[in-house]
Amino acid sequence: MAADPRPGRYVQSEQAAPEPRRVSHQVVMRFDHVFEVDPALMARFPQQKMPAWDTKRIVAARWDHLDDVHRQFADGKVLAGEGPEAGDD
Amino acid sequence: MTLAPPTIDSGILEELRAIVGEEDAVLISKSSRLNRARVPAPFPVHRWEEFVPDAVVLPRTVQHVSEIVKLANRTKVPIVPRAGGTGLADGAVPLRGGIVVDVKRMDKIKEVDLANNTVTVGPGINMQTLNRQLVKHGVMFPDDPASYACSLIGGRIGTSGFSLLGSRYGHTRDLVISFEIVLPTGEVIEVGDGGGRKVRKSSTGYHLKHLFMGHQGTLGIVTEATLELVPRAEVEFAAFFLFEDFDTAYRTHRLLACSGLATLAGVMLFDSEKVAYLRRDDEAYIEQPDWVKAVAAASLYGTRAEVEPASKIVMELGRSLGGKYIGDEISSGDWSARHDRYANPLHGRARDGQVVPMSWHCEDAAVPYSELPAVRAKWHAIASRYVEQYEIFDDWGMFAYTNGAHKPWGDVLAEIDMGLWEERLDEAGWQAFISLKREIAQTVLDHGGSMTACHGATRAGDAELVPQEMGGGWDVMMAIKRLLDPNNVMNPGKQSLDRAYE
Repeated sequence: MAADPRPGRYVQSEQAAPEPRRVSHQVVMRFDHVFEVDPALMARFPQQKMPAWDTKRIVAARWDHLDDVHRQFADGKVLAGEGPEAGDD
Repeated sequence: MTLAPPTIDSGILEELRAIVGEEDAVLISKSSRLNRARVPAPFPVHRWEEFVPDAVVLPRTVQHVSEIVKLANRTKVPIVPRAGGTGLADGAVPLRGGIVVDVKRMDKIKEVDLANNTVTVGPGINMQTLNRQLVKHGVMFPDDPASYACSLIGGRIGTSGFSLLGSRYGHTRDLVISFEIVLPTGEVIEVGDGGGRKVRKSSTGYHLKHLFMGHQGTLGIVTEATLELVPRAEVEFAAFFLFEDFDTAYRTHRLLACSGLATLAGVMLFDSEKVAYLRRDDEAYIEQPDWVKAVAAASLYGTRAEVEPASKIVMELGRSLGGKYIGDEISSGDWSARHDRYANPLHGRARDGQVVPMSWHCEDAAVPYSELPAVRAKWHAIASRYVEQYEIFDDWGMFAYTNGAHKPWGDVLAEIDMGLWEERLDEAGWQAFISLKREIAQTVLDHGGSMTACHGATRAGDAELVPQEMGGGWDVMMAIKRLLDPNNVMNPGKQSLDRAYE
């Protein structure tokens, strides 16, 4: 996407997803932290073309949902306060 | 799909309409019937019409249900209760046509009793909906299946469901204090441990709640339930640990399960095939290093004063055999994603690696902890054979979860998840699926387990093994079915119970 979409307008050129970059042998990424199955693996059932705003809407809705799930059973979270540990490779 | 018109007598339809007294309470349209033929589990789509009910009725009261059941019993028309229709066996699938009693309109919260910590509801309410109403009272109903957002109380009782928070709060059978049920002949009774709708422990008489819990619609229709309310947890904690091999993760699972922490809600284990599956498209695992072959995880719920020190013990135990912490972001996010796993069943892969839509079969056995490695090895060998022979299957790996309510040590819920490409199904493929299921279930029985910890043994592949698993209790089970349902109208054909009438 060349620039952030302007509110209230749909401009085709602003809605094109960026070229994918490879994450693993079967997954690519077009937007940061948004994983997609490698389109090459979707030859039999092609991936739906989506405007950027729709991808972002779905991702935002997913995060809203996960936040809501946290609130279902507890009022807050305790975290270990640590990031991922490195392994041997 | 061509669909034959309902064969049910028009006089019965008129009686159903008169019982409920609402124009739209009796449905016979094609879409209404087709949509109540199946559940999310793999389904013989090539024979869909064989499972379509003749009519659907949507009652609102126990009196409606009682009169509907009396009508079915009098006219010997099969009757099948249906709540959310989210089951992963076939409890709500009509095998003989007849009348589906859809309880979704019985969805009221009838009473919140904060003095006795109970809530009384209709069977058509969903847990997420219920808990959103309970937040303001500082309490919750902690029954938490993977279908939390879409399953209903009636189905949870019908299947005797499994809760992801079961080690801390108990499973459905522990969280439903008592319920009202319409028997197959139309009488209405209330069942609990003994008497007393809000009494949690009694030694009076037989414990009838446990007889009807997990009835799979074969012994009646639940019309009301009184549920446990627990204080809302102040905080939750989840930690996922990564391992180079299954065995170390398996041993770490036990250390966590035997920690003695009262706030422990559950301990989970993924094997290498499950991790490989998750690497396809699960944001938590796509970028994990290649050495990651297994995962063990634990969650805690309670007050901050309890959970904070307990979390440190979990971190020590999780690392004690070499596990590497996955980090806060993924631990927290992946745990919340566990509460709603009904979003994943399309991610199958054909043998050439191409994405194909598949439905989700999960064999949900209860297995003694000591038997898990052997069961796992046999399961994957069975799955591999079928994947090799038929292009419609995909092995999605195994996970295990602490099974005992309040007693996380010992047996585990072990699931091997399989994809089934329904679009390609023909009768040979369907029979292969049943055979696959039967082999997986038989393996569990051979190792002293139970073939189902949460879904029920209601479909072909499991149903024929119910007498074997029940052993000497099978004759008693058949006698009870015959006594309560003399005309075999209540969800006939399930769990091999037709044998009770031979």
